[in-house]
Amino acid sequence: MKKLAYLLQSKQVSSIELVEKYLAQIEASEKKLNALITVDKKGALQAAREADQRWKKGENRSPWDGIPIVLKDNISTRGMRTTCASKILADYVPLYDASVVTLLRKQGLPILGKANLDEFAMGSSTEYSSFGVTVNPFDGNRVAGGSSGGSAAAVAAGETPWALGTDTGGSIRQPAAFCGVVGLKPTYGRVSRYGVVALAPSLDQVGPLAKTVEDAAILFSILAGTDPKDATSANAQEFNVPNWDDALIKGLKIGIPKEFFGEGLHPEVEEAVRRALQILEEEGALLVPLSLSTNVYAIDTYLTIVTAEASSSLARYDGVRYGQRKEGADSNTMFAKTRGEGFGAEVKRRIMLGTYVLGAGHYEDFYEQAQKVRTLIKDDLQSAWEKADLIITPTTPTTAFKIGEKRNPLEMYLSDLYTAIANLGGIPALSLPCGKDSRSLPIGLQIMANHFQEELMFQAAYFLEKKLLGRA
Amino acid sequence: MSRKYDTVIGLEIHVALLTESKFLCSCSTEFGAPPNSHCCPICLGLPGSLPAINAKAVEYAVIAGSALNCVINPFSKFDRKNYFYPDLPKAYQITQDAYPICGPGYLDYYVQDKLERTKIVRIHLEEEAGKLIHSGESIIDSEYSLVDYNRAGIPLIEIVTAPDITAPEQARLFLEQLRLVMNYIQVSDTKMEEGSLRCDANISLKPKGSPVLGTKVEIKNLNSFRALERALEFEKERQREVLEQGGQIEQESRTWDERAGKTMTMRSKADAPDYRFFPDPNLPPLNLDPVWIENLKKSLPELPLERLHRLKDQDRLSHYEAAFLVNYPDFGDLFEKVKVTFPEPKAIVNLLMGDYARLAREHGHLNPVRLGELLQLLADEVINKNQGKDILEELFKTEEDSPAEIVEKRGWRMLSDAAQLRKVVEGILADNPDLVGRFRNGENKLFGFFIGQVMRATEGKADPEVVNNLLREELEGGRN
Amino acid sequence: MIDREEVIRIAALARLDLSEEEIEKYQRDLTDFLTACAQLKKVDVSQLRATSHAVTIKPRLRQDRVGPSLKQTDVLSGGADVQDGFFRVPRIVEGQG
Ligand SMILES: [Zn+2]
Repeated sequence: MKKLAYLLQSKQVSSIELVEKYLAQIEASEKKLNALITVDKKGALQAAREADQRWKKGENRSPWDGIPIVLKDNISTRGMRTTCASKILADYVPLYDASVVTLLRKQGLPILGKANLDEFAMGSSTEYSSFGVTVNPFDGNRVAGGSSGGSAAAVAAGETPWALGTDTGGSIRQPAAFCGVVGLKPTYGRVSRYGVVALAPSLDQVGPLAKTVEDAAILFSILAGTDPKDATSANAQEFNVPNWDDALIKGLKIGIPKEFFGEGLHPEVEEAVRRALQILEEEGALLVPLSLSTNVYAIDTYLTIVTAEASSSLARYDGVRYGQRKEGADSNTMFAKTRGEGFGAEVKRRIMLGTYVLGAGHYEDFYEQAQKVRTLIKDDLQSAWEKADLIITPTTPTTAFKIGEKRNPLEMYLSDLYTAIANLGGIPALSLPCGKDSRSLPIGLQIMANHFQEELMFQAAYFLEKKLLGRA
Repeated sequence: MSRKYDTVIGLEIHVALLTESKFLCSCSTEFGAPPNSHCCPICLGLPGSLPAINAKAVEYAVIAGSALNCVINPFSKFDRKNYFYPDLPKAYQITQDAYPICGPGYLDYYVQDKLERTKIVRIHLEEEAGKLIHSGESIIDSEYSLVDYNRAGIPLIEIVTAPDITAPEQARLFLEQLRLVMNYIQVSDTKMEEGSLRCDANISLKPKGSPVLGTKVEIKNLNSFRALERALEFEKERQREVLEQGGQIEQESRTWDERAGKTMTMRSKADAPDYRFFPDPNLPPLNLDPVWIENLKKSLPELPLERLHRLKDQDRLSHYEAAFLVNYPDFGDLFEKVKVTFPEPKAIVNLLMGDYARLAREHGHLNPVRLGELLQLLADEVINKNQGKDILEELFKTEEDSPAEIVEKRGWRMLSDAAQLRKVVEGILADNPDLVGRFRNGENKLFGFFIGQVMRATEGKADPEVVNNLLREELEGGRN
Repeated sequence: MIDREEVIRIAALARLDLSEEEIEKYQRDLTDFLTACAQLKKVDVSQLRATSHAVTIKPRLRQDRVGPSLKQTDVLSGGADVQDGFFRVPRIVEGQG
């Protein structure tokens, strides 16, 4: 991105040229990928023209003024439809911008379009999108992952230099791993959620996807900080892209939780991650074996909380104020028909589960129990930070799976096995490409850090990326 | 009421807080705007919008809790109450379930001249729903309804009482006192007709003296003090009849139909909703500073009951007089101001409760200094009572002239100079020797005639007391 | 096993109109899910408080100032049925009046 910024600054390239280049790539690859739900050609070109004007006058808003971006289609964009990949919001046009969109506009970033996702971000493959599945750029028979599959695939295919995704249980990191890009789920509250359509507000976070660690860091630096419109961002800290320093690796304590290297992990994935760990060790990092034994509860805890919060967050789609409506003789019938028709199968499944676990007589056994187990998981993570500065694991147990391969919902939920813990603990976690398997599918490595320790995480990721890709 | 049963009543009162902006967004709370013109992504529940708590609403809730002698909880939480209804934009209401902002408290108030205490169980903060306008006469016979979200998101406190109240009239008096307290602390305009004060009531009967509560019925839609009392009277009788005929009371919600003058079933417990309360993940818990809470408590204004007792004890007013000044705080405040220049509480309250009250309702209040001056003239006997009335009416037209100036201009100054009046008296007696003779022979009623003659001769300005004395002296001095 | 009536009750509570097929499907899914979650119930959490947020957040309150609202036409622009500045909904009480 620094290169693009340099080209813009030195007038070797214009924003219009950039946007046209990416639009051409979109044109070329979308038929195959289906990464985008909406392409805003007109809007992006208009924004690019304005950016070029500013550069001409030396009034550029930032070094990134005019470098375009793609947003996951659950991030509200004023005047540009925001579907959440759901039939119920197929024609919904927000009246306001999400705070992160305001931040991007302030920096001058043209919005190329909106990326595909599993409906309301519920899923791990974008197969639950009502706009069709997004295909993995590395293998036409495989998924791009999810729920931010469109964002990851668009970055991987060069449709956009970077993208925004959202992550509730792994929805940025898992598709980043499947598509061979970098994806960050920031510390809970570090990036405003205002205007980001809720799945589970106590777990949701917005984050960057990009080709390189540095690009992800740059995009994150634009996003991070307190937003008065999001009460949960009250003590968020801003983030500045650090000076990259390999010397930090020496003496760094890297936690290796044994539970993340056990049964179910594909040997090729394990091998790639172990190789990366070895590189760190060679540079002087200390590998610290440790245990995160509570991770066995992570998926069930996560599912209980997600379904409960989602059942409530998605109750507002009742056909009265916005969204599609299916008429009925009375209001309740209208609500039920609107929702029964408007929501896809997975969304309905989660609403049913969530309604059940919050219901009278079940709350203590399920929801409250899950919240308490969450405390256990949080405490487990906290004690890990006494032993390690960072924790490294595989991002996913396997590389990208085949479209249609996972028919059982419970099997699909296991895609988040290594990632959900970071959301439950509110900690930052990043997925970094660390190699490819024998089918040439990308493998992702996950780095986790304590709250607000993104910088250290980025340093390690930057170092690894350099070594792994032989980049100097 | 039958002697066989005790009536048990508890109230749930919703009070809209008088903030400028809504509870969770910055839209205006102004009443009467065009429909759906005070709405934003937050109060419309647009996808992705998030709540941001209004500090003033929290402050007002703490003030209200303090005025109702409640425990203020530094730690409280916001929960979602999930249910579908067209006036509820997010299909959940942000409220406080498990950890409300105020814990137990009480309110003291008079029922006739007996001081009663009703316990407050809790007070919690929540958001208001939108407003529905039904196409038909009532919700039941309406083919469709129209929704206005201007009201959605206005801050409310819900005050829940213990089932301490034993009679419908007492319930009304409690609610009146509660309203007065809310007015005194200025957290709400408590306009029942605009819905900024609403009340639901729970009522049950139990055998006299029994410690076991009966099955309670909830009555909703009580939009006036009268409706509260009437609905409870109706429901008390209805329940008594059911019980006396050996029937059982069903736990249910009933609505009060003002026109029909009766309560009607809304829903039974069988279809009681399952609200699925859980902590709102978008809002961190409140952690209020105990020092801040203490300061708010200390800066509470004088409350109605304190004022009542002060007026009775210090100003020696009767309960009736004191209650008048307390219940009409504008009069109470005026009373205090007049007292500064004219420290005679009884005389002030007599003036305020008399013709003044009627005139002030029409024209608004007078300047307390002017009222002090008027009272002073009366006290100094510069003018008589009738003249006082005339001056009062004159003041309601214009307050430009002081009462003294009015007296001067109209030449209304009371004639109380004894020497001057003696001449008048002597003249009249000299002109009526027959009558004087008859009076002296015992025809006492003629005394009034002489007074009338003196008043006529002085154009009504004579001080009646002085005339009285002079006449007695002159007439009775010669009686033997 | 979650019974059929329970599934119908939950669907009604969540205002989801489900087909016969869906009712059967969600009956199975719910049962599977609850079986899978059964291990959570066995975890001893008696000494623990529930976590709503993994990060402790100091609440910051908003000053009571009126900000701009949306225009009425914008507010209504998304509504499927609007009339005279209002959103319109079919009868609220079920059954005919
Ligand atoms: Zn608003």
